[in-house]
Amino acid sequence: MPRIMTIWLPRWAVQRRLIDNPALRKVPVFVCRRERRGVMTIVSWAWALPPRMESVHGGGRPSPPRIPPGMSLAEGMAVLALAHGSRACHVAEIDHDDPAADRAALERLARHSRRFAPIVALEDVERPECIHVDVTGTAGFFGGEAALVRTAAWTLAARGIHARVAIADTVGAAWAAAHHTESFDQRPAQPFRRRRRFAVVPPGEQAAALAGLPAAALRLDAAVLAALREVGIDSIGGILKVSRKSLASRFPSSLAVRLAQFTGGRAEPLAPTFGEELPRAVHVFDVPVSLREMEEDTITAIIERLVERCVGPLLARGEGVTSLQVRFERWAGTGERGPCPPVVIDVGLYRPSIVVRHVVDLVRLRMARVRLPREVESVAVEVVAAALAVCRQRSLFSAESESAAAEVGMLFDRLAGRLGAKAVFEPRIVDDAQPEHAWVGASPAAPGGGAPRASVTRARLAAPAERRPIWLLPRPVPLDVMAVVPAVADAGRPPVRFRYGGEIHEVATAHGPERIETAWWRGPIVRRDYHMVETRSGGRLWIFRRLKDGAWFLHGVFA
Amino acid sequence: MVKGGLFAKVLQAGDFAGFSAGWREGDVVPTGFAPLDRLLPAGGVRLGSLVEWLSNGEASGAAALASAVACRLAGDADRAGDAPSTIVVVDRKGRFYPPAVLGWLERARAAGRPAPRLVVARPAHEADEVWAIDQALRCRGVSAVLAWPERIHSTAMRRWQLAARVSLAVGLFVRPLAASHEPSWAEARIAVAAQPGGSLTVRRLRLSLAGGPWAGEPLVQERSVEIGLDLSRGCAAASGQVSPAQPLPVPRILERERMACRAS
Repeated sequence: MPRIMTIWLPRWAVQRRLIDNPALRKVPVFVCRRERRGVMTIVSWAWALPPRMESVHGGGRPSPPRIPPGMSLAEGMAVLALAHGSRACHVAEIDHDDPAADRAALERLARHSRRFAPIVALEDVERPECIHVDVTGTAGFFGGEAALVRTAAWTLAARGIHARVAIADTVGAAWAAAHHTESFDQRPAQPFRRRRRFAVVPPGEQAAALAGLPAAALRLDAAVLAALREVGIDSIGGILKVSRKSLASRFPSSLAVRLAQFTGGRAEPLAPTFGEELPRAVHVFDVPVSLREMEEDTITAIIERLVERCVGPLLARGEGVTSLQVRFERWAGTGERGPCPPVVIDVGLYRPSIVVRHVVDLVRLRMARVRLPREVESVAVEVVAAALAVCRQRSLFSAESESAAAEVGMLFDRLAGRLGAKAVFEPRIVDDAQPEHAWVGASPAAPGGGAPRASVTRARLAAPAERRPIWLLPRPVPLDVMAVVPAVADAGRPPVRFRYGGEIHEVATAHGPERIETAWWRGPIVRRDYHMVETRSGGRLWIFRRLKDGAWFLHGVFA
Repeated sequence: MVKGGLFAKVLQAGDFAGFSAGWREGDVVPTGFAPLDRLLPAGGVRLGSLVEWLSNGEASGAAALASAVACRLAGDADRAGDAPSTIVVVDRKGRFYPPAVLGWLERARAAGRPAPRLVVARPAHEADEVWAIDQALRCRGVSAVLAWPERIHSTAMRRWQLAARVSLAVGLFVRPLAASHEPSWAEARIAVAAQPGGSLTVRRLRLSLAGGPWAGEPLVQERSVEIGLDLSRGCAAASGQVSPAQPLPVPRILERERMACRAS
């Protein structure tokens, strides 16, 4: 009997962003898609660490607001404001949807899941959130199926990934169990207890064990679910009671297919799409060694040798490394705490590389920022992702420019390795009137071969360059206005004199106003009149008047 | 006199304080601002050198001028070749606003060349900032590195200078005028002061030599010039545009004392 483990990563689009930038856990994160007429639709959203506030209607924690995918951003913001106040909307992070990047990140995670079993595949839908692993016969290596699901869930949790894991006979049953792991919790329900994250459905018992789950757990589409609801069937058990013949005659054929897949009557083979196995190399020490006593050059030499062993097979296939993982397996001593989780260093490259020295340099940069364990048993290097390396025959005259372009790619890798992937970007203009959102930082793609992200187009500037300052303050600074002209104040003239940075500035000339007003469906409405003012000393500042209350702010400096 | 004569001889020998050693004849790129070129020792920006722009106040226009020079260096036809050159902006404080500059880079595309790439690095710490500038200056393919470090240690700057020599990248650093007393390895230190007047698209800037090995020499003919920076294109303004525009009539101030703004 086959056994399938399903790893469900709820709201993966948001989770991916939280992994990239853990600081976002403190704020609501919305992943949105721009629909027709500029309406932003929510693809997914989450607030990992909402503030602990008492409910207005009595004690306890307020339930999270219900914002389903497909809701417009404005409606979502309104719901969020009702639950957590308008401040939550102001701090909310809104990001453009990028399904390709989501899928690529999930594929990387699927490669990581190969440590549980060799056959791994993604969920066969447009926007996958699940990884299926064929664990037939491999659970014994992890201490049994219960230990395997627990290990999988907590291994991912250690990397900041919230996952739910279940094992069952079929893909359909494992999918249903993973989406409802809490129903396997035998403990009495308590308000602050964490939900159970893993479940094991005993072999051959999926029909009995999962009968109480809702019909949606069969991966049915909305029309079929509505048809079932009309006849009063709302659970898997209810569907199983109806004869197959009756189901086939009354409901769309997809229901019979899903039911057969659930019970195992119809095979649902996993289709791994990751190509060949990626290389991995391990160096095991004879005895646990202390990294403090070991010289940096020694550990670097070991890593270099391991990277060489990984790059060799890739080179034969014409591929280069794009993502690499170095793991230091820790020595936990003989205490009762059991094995310690390994220290993991992830290294990403913007373009495939076969240069061992370069990859090792990136690992060293990351190692300098990571607290390494005191004693290690082994060091493992694993290629997580590889791509076709561009190998060209050198031309006689343009060799210099080609090597310069390659050096630029290496520079980006090094900068991202030490400063963080989010700290190195290529700015691109987006079509947005609000100055703060008029550009986005795209990942610097490989020179010459980089394509702009799907959500980032070559939009036109919202205003001519001369109307935009070189420096924009991260947050507008309220201006201490000292003199205005009352007769024309209502007309929106800039102040005559104001204090900023401990100095009094007198305005000599001004250009404006340039009104910037965001649409209501964008969320909190921004209505500002911008002016470029030149002080008597010649300095130029970009100030605006908030139309809501007439307050003046400094937003930019023509530095 | 003696000092000046010696300086002239050293210049003739082609080696002054190590700045000229090993450079080829054509390694000077005009900034696009003729008066500014006259201030610079080589008659333009020497590739593989550092230039400091000392800003007289935050809003002086020094960063805009440095950005314009960086775009000029990146778009230099002789240097660019087939591959697009890269400008790296090291922006520790997260203040750089790319929409003000991205339009300037498109000029190269209009001229039929690949538009230079603009890449921003945002280090979190001062040590990372120093390291990022060093790495960027060391990279061939990077034409200019633009940064506004608050403090520069002399050793770090020397390292940058040597790194730039290898790659022929140019380091353009915007710093406060107070830094003019600090030692520097920059080839030129230009003080930038904004001048009132100008128009929406044109800024009038006064540039003066504020340091560098070149500044103390009597051979220098001109020590202070005025330029017009066209903010719409990131280049020198046409001569007709530089003349100061009439300031807007400022309405009569009815209340001189300090008052809180209650415009609503």
